[in-house]
Amino acid sequence: MIQFEQVSKVYPGGFQALKNVSFSLAAGEMAFLTGHSGAGKSTVLKLISLMERPTTGRVLINGHDLKRIKRKQIAYARRDIGMIFQDHRLLMDRTVFDNVALPLLIEGYSMSEARKRVQAALDKVGLADKIRHYPMMLSGGEQQRVGIARAVVNKPPLLLADEPTGNLDPKLSAEIIKLFEEFNRVGVSVLIATHDLSLIARMRYRTLTLKDGRMIDDGLAEEPA
Amino acid sequence: MSVLFRSRQQGAQQVKISAWRRFVTFWLHHAQQCIGSLGELARYPFASLMTMAVLGLSLTLPATLYVIVKNTDSVGANFQNASEISVFLRQDLDDQAVTTFAKRIELNPAVAEIKLIEKEAALAEFRERSGFGDALETLDSNPLPDVLLVTPHANHRAPAAAEALLQELKQQREVDEARLDVGWLQRFEAIVQLIRDGFLGLALLLCIAVVLIVGNTIRLNISSKRDEIMVMKLVGATDAYIQRPFLYTGLWYGIVGGVITWLATAALLWWLSGAVRSIADLYESQFRLTGLNLAEMGVIWGLAIGLGLLGSHIAVRKHVRAIEPQ
Repeated sequence: MIQFEQVSKVYPGGFQALKNVSFSLAAGEMAFLTGHSGAGKSTVLKLISLMERPTTGRVLINGHDLKRIKRKQIAYARRDIGMIFQDHRLLMDRTVFDNVALPLLIEGYSMSEARKRVQAALDKVGLADKIRHYPMMLSGGEQQRVGIARAVVNKPPLLLADEPTGNLDPKLSAEIIKLFEEFNRVGVSVLIATHDLSLIARMRYRTLTLKDGRMIDDGLAEEPA
Repeated sequence: MSVLFRSRQQGAQQVKISAWRRFVTFWLHHAQQCIGSLGELARYPFASLMTMAVLGLSLTLPATLYVIVKNTDSVGANFQNASEISVFLRQDLDDQAVTTFAKRIELNPAVAEIKLIEKEAALAEFRERSGFGDALETLDSNPLPDVLLVTPHANHRAPAAAEALLQELKQQREVDEARLDVGWLQRFEAIVQLIRDGFLGLALLLCIAVVLIVGNTIRLNISSKRDEIMVMKLVGATDAYIQRPFLYTGLWYGIVGGVITWLATAALLWWLSGAVRSIADLYESQFRLTGLNLAEMGVIWGLAIGLGLLGSHIAVRKHVRAIEPQ
């Protein structure tokens, strides 16, 4: 599903965020990406979601070299990737419905079709009754779940999450991870970047570890046979 | 459309969208965004009206100047009716030759009317009026030539055509000299042309100013929605989709600005018409200021809308592109 081939990334100004990183994530796999802050976790996610381009090396998604994706195609490529952020990036002046429906309306769904799908996505994250609320009226955990509903509403085959539990207490974090597990169970590939080691320790998923821009552990050795 | 997962059986591809449905949805989206941007403008009525007024009033000046030039042209057309050519004949012609020449000129299709002033009559008049009577007695011959006053036909009265007729008359064997007092007409035309060129330059500058003002307003709009645009880009919105509401905003600026131009121009002309009427009355003229006709109003509206769209287009192209999610 995701393949990194000797990827290096140097930001303008000379900071080298990634050094020769190679790994691959199979279709339908769920994995954690960890490392201290500044280790390059966010850069990996940005390269996958085409927010940044690698300086050297190749990034492939489903066998497609992202280098070949032209600027104009980026928007279409992002529709295949559900993204979840620590700060959820919700539009605060729109209702929960409008936020979750945004990707559908952009893709050209009719209002009635969008309404059905938004309802389904909110049902899945347990916020069906908050559809008319504004994000301000929701708790941090609920806001994060709205963000997740928005990421999955058009059923992308790949989910990326950047510190999705960053601001949440352990109980809420576990609920969020449980949601990801449910999506993974229906075949969605999930990559979660987090520095919450205690969270990872409780799970038995593959864990990729970055340190100073290098992949020091791609988690395959520990994988149970 | 899926770029990365061409055989994706989920998401957009699961819903089979027919070409017709897509066509309808496309226009439906346009209509929604069009109305949506109007709603957005209505949320900040004062700021929106200010921009529209700047656009409208900027175009009022060129529109008014245009109306003034148009009216000056019609006044100029009236003035040109007066032109008359004085043809001085050679001294050595006998009466027979003079009469034949006069007949020949009268038959010229470019000539409406002729008047022959014979040299004897001219001398008599000169003697009577100038007070040189006694001095003239000492001359042994009449120094004055026969003069033919030629009034060109109505469609040969424009300076250029009258000038051509003048040259034609000068070529005649019997003619010593011919004069057409087109100097003042040419000066008048030159001044009108100067005013017209000046107005055109001014209009051009004001149009550029309108584009810049609209562009800057839209730029501010875009940067105030920076976060929203970033989120939209993250969930797969194309630049075109994000740009559309801003382009519609520019369109609305033009639509309302054009109407403001009409109203302001009409008001300005109404204000001037009193003064114009009193001048016309002093000259005992029936002249009245003519305002914009329907076609001219259409052109001004089109111009306002075009400038609004151009300004917003420049802004969105540059600034929507520049906002990238981080």
